[in-house]
Amino acid sequence: MAAKNPVPSLGHVTVVGGCGFLGSHIVSLIVKRHPSTRVSVLDLRTSSNRNASSQVSYHDGDITDLAFLKKLFADLKPDAIIHTASPHFHLPPAVHDKVNIEGTKNLLSAAQETGVKAFVYTSSASVIFGPETELVNATEEWPMITGDAQPEYYTTTKAYAETAVLEANRTPASFLTCAIRPAGIFGEGDVQLLPPMIGAFRKGQTKFQVGANDNLFDFTYVENVAFGHLLAVQALLHSHKILPTIPLDTERVDGEAFFITNGQPVYFWDFARAVWHECGDRRPLNKVWKLDKDFAFAVGALLENVFWVLGRTPNITRKQVRYSTFAKYHSIDKAKRRLGYHPLVQLDEGVRRGVRWLLENELKTAQKKDQ
Amino acid sequence: MPGVKDLAYYAVHPKELRSIIQWKVWHNPVHERDDSKESESLKRCMYFLSQTSRSFVAVILELHPDILVSVAIFYLVLRGLDTIEDDMTIPLATKEPILRDFHNIIEQDGWTFTENGPDEKDRQLCVEFNVVIEEFKKLKPAHQAIIKDITKRMGNGMADYVKNAELGVENNGVNSVKDYEKYCHYVAGLVGEGCTRLFVEEGKANPALLKRTELHESMGQFLQQVNIIRDIKEDFDDKRRFWPKEIWSKHVDNFEDLFKPENKDKALACSSEMILTALRRADDCLFYLAGIKEQSVFNFCAIPQSMAIATLDACFQNHDIFKRNVKITKGDACQLMLESTQNLQLVCDVFKRYTRKIHQKNNPHDPNFLQISIACGKVEQFIESIFPSQKPPVDEKKNPASAEEAARLKKEADDNKWETFYMISAVIGTIVFISGIMLVVAWFAGARFDIALGQAKEQLGQLFGTVGSDNASAPLDGKPSTDHSEL
Repeated sequence: MAAKNPVPSLGHVTVVGGCGFLGSHIVSLIVKRHPSTRVSVLDLRTSSNRNASSQVSYHDGDITDLAFLKKLFADLKPDAIIHTASPHFHLPPAVHDKVNIEGTKNLLSAAQETGVKAFVYTSSASVIFGPETELVNATEEWPMITGDAQPEYYTTTKAYAETAVLEANRTPASFLTCAIRPAGIFGEGDVQLLPPMIGAFRKGQTKFQVGANDNLFDFTYVENVAFGHLLAVQALLHSHKILPTIPLDTERVDGEAFFITNGQPVYFWDFARAVWHECGDRRPLNKVWKLDKDFAFAVGALLENVFWVLGRTPNITRKQVRYSTFAKYHSIDKAKRRLGYHPLVQLDEGVRRGVRWLLENELKTAQKKDQ
Repeated sequence: MPGVKDLAYYAVHPKELRSIIQWKVWHNPVHERDDSKESESLKRCMYFLSQTSRSFVAVILELHPDILVSVAIFYLVLRGLDTIEDDMTIPLATKEPILRDFHNIIEQDGWTFTENGPDEKDRQLCVEFNVVIEEFKKLKPAHQAIIKDITKRMGNGMADYVKNAELGVENNGVNSVKDYEKYCHYVAGLVGEGCTRLFVEEGKANPALLKRTELHESMGQFLQQVNIIRDIKEDFDDKRRFWPKEIWSKHVDNFEDLFKPENKDKALACSSEMILTALRRADDCLFYLAGIKEQSVFNFCAIPQSMAIATLDACFQNHDIFKRNVKITKGDACQLMLESTQNLQLVCDVFKRYTRKIHQKNNPHDPNFLQISIACGKVEQFIESIFPSQKPPVDEKKNPASAEEAARLKKEADDNKWETFYMISAVIGTIVFISGIMLVVAWFAGARFDIALGQAKEQLGQLFGTVGSDNASAPLDGKPSTDHSEL
């Protein structure tokens, strides 16, 4: 296949966070599409999600340790860095500060000192998502929502890190950076999006729908997000080759942020139902209870307070109501034009793969326990 | 004449009745046709046009005078071609050469065709085809060239199709989706191209439409595919099959099985897939309409498209299409015509309304469930791209972009807080200090604060009325205040 469709080598790419959900998919896509590219993975622990290819080497380490990073990069001498390491959403703010902001800055300064050519940062589409406005076909021109206006501290730190990465572009002149903002990543190995939906199916929550289900939502299959990263590396390396010429503003990739989605926004509950169907749900549409949005919001508020007293989280929260009734989709025209991006895997195929993997994985774990 | 059934229907659907009345009363054609100056042959052509009586005709008659006759003749030429192609009583040996040569026939004075079977609806048009030819030759040469070119390609496409069908290639059906779209291209996509070239020739449409060939192709494909979906039962009864085997064979083993009541779910899944194939063209149609510059041409193009999306909704998840011809009601049709004869935004609203209706009926257990949801979402996203419902929000609060900025803002806010605190302290301090000095000076000068305090208490007491009558005499005890005044 490689012979039929020759793809340029990306040289030597270091994937930071390459044992994580997205990171491991990035590694395997490089192995699949760019067989002559060398990959080194840096992660806190490199015991899980390892790729068997001889192209890939693994290195344990902490990105909050600057001295270590400098030494590692001086040894590895990577051409490009994909920084996709991020702590879990639910961890305390101090961890987000430490890893997302400080860690990213450490990586930048280590990369700047060791002659790295391209630096791609995994940001998040949520950096423009606040509590008040819906995202209807949002573009990269939309302002970031951070600080006091942003209820999720995780998102604020992702935004700050993105700014740091983009500000580092062309300092020195041969150091090129860009940011990828994926929205709603799911797929094999996913812990944040599909598992709660599968959980909802098991709890029998498929009989409810909150709101009218006219809100479009972006979900992105993980391999497509990985593909966006590879295209970004490729584009930055190309811009590096033509230095000191700077590409036209309308073609530039360095110093820019890009939304990467499946480009197939669907109605929120449709996605959930597709997941449930894949799990085995066969409830007909006319047997679904449609709860009014405001009513559900009030119930959520009430339950949250009651459960707060009990010290637990209820099945329905205001945040969930908001998420399931808001429009949240983006335009990926910029990524299409400048990166040549297009989704490799269709949404329905992605759902099939993701859910099947999760169910099989559950079975395997259960069997292991039995033994 | 409306029947009792209609009356009863509109009695309970007053909104639809309102639409009908509005359309009948208020709709005025953009351009009125003046038929007094028309030649006899043109009058005859217009008569045939009204006889073929398809939904198209009403909108043709309201077109701008620059293209009205050309579009009408174009339509009649293709109708003639279609009448010959459709007639199963004509042997292939006679039919094929006529179809392949039809673009030359339309230039032969006095050519007529009388071999159509007696049941053929538009038989008379072919019998008097010389009037169409007469009028065709009066058209602008540029228009003639366009019509001739399309006729040539369509005639040959039809001849290929008829030949395959006659030779028994898979029992008069369409095999692959590619064949299906090819068939629709010959009978409808080409019409889209021809019309677009006529519009651009007369400056009624953006020339860019000629470069984006997929747009006018979709215009034709969308209409044709919707007709094929809606007419499934009628065509089946006439022994015609346009639904491609590639699609129906996924759901049933034999085409006839689609019509069996026990296969209801399979038939619905099959129709969903057909509808999905058509729906994917919807955004192209809106894009095409954005390129039309003249109102009558816009109406001509938009009305059938609106009807098509509404028909698609009427057929979606509706098992009746396998039993009878499903139609949109006259009231809905009038409403759609009202909304399709104004501007693109209203037509987009129509598309959005019907795509949402389709999406709300989408069955989660249909094999193409998510694909249909994606296709609906694509229409909505496209509409948002041309008529955005919201502007990018303005960053009024000036959210910090980086950790440094956030720290700086926080420091600034803290500094501001302290600054305010210092300022207020200074003011209070000054007041306290000056008052102190004044009091001290007054004391040295012999001021009696004890008396002043007592009086102040009393007056306050009087003010609030809480002081009893015993205390009311207090002011009298306060005589010393007069001593004070001696100072």
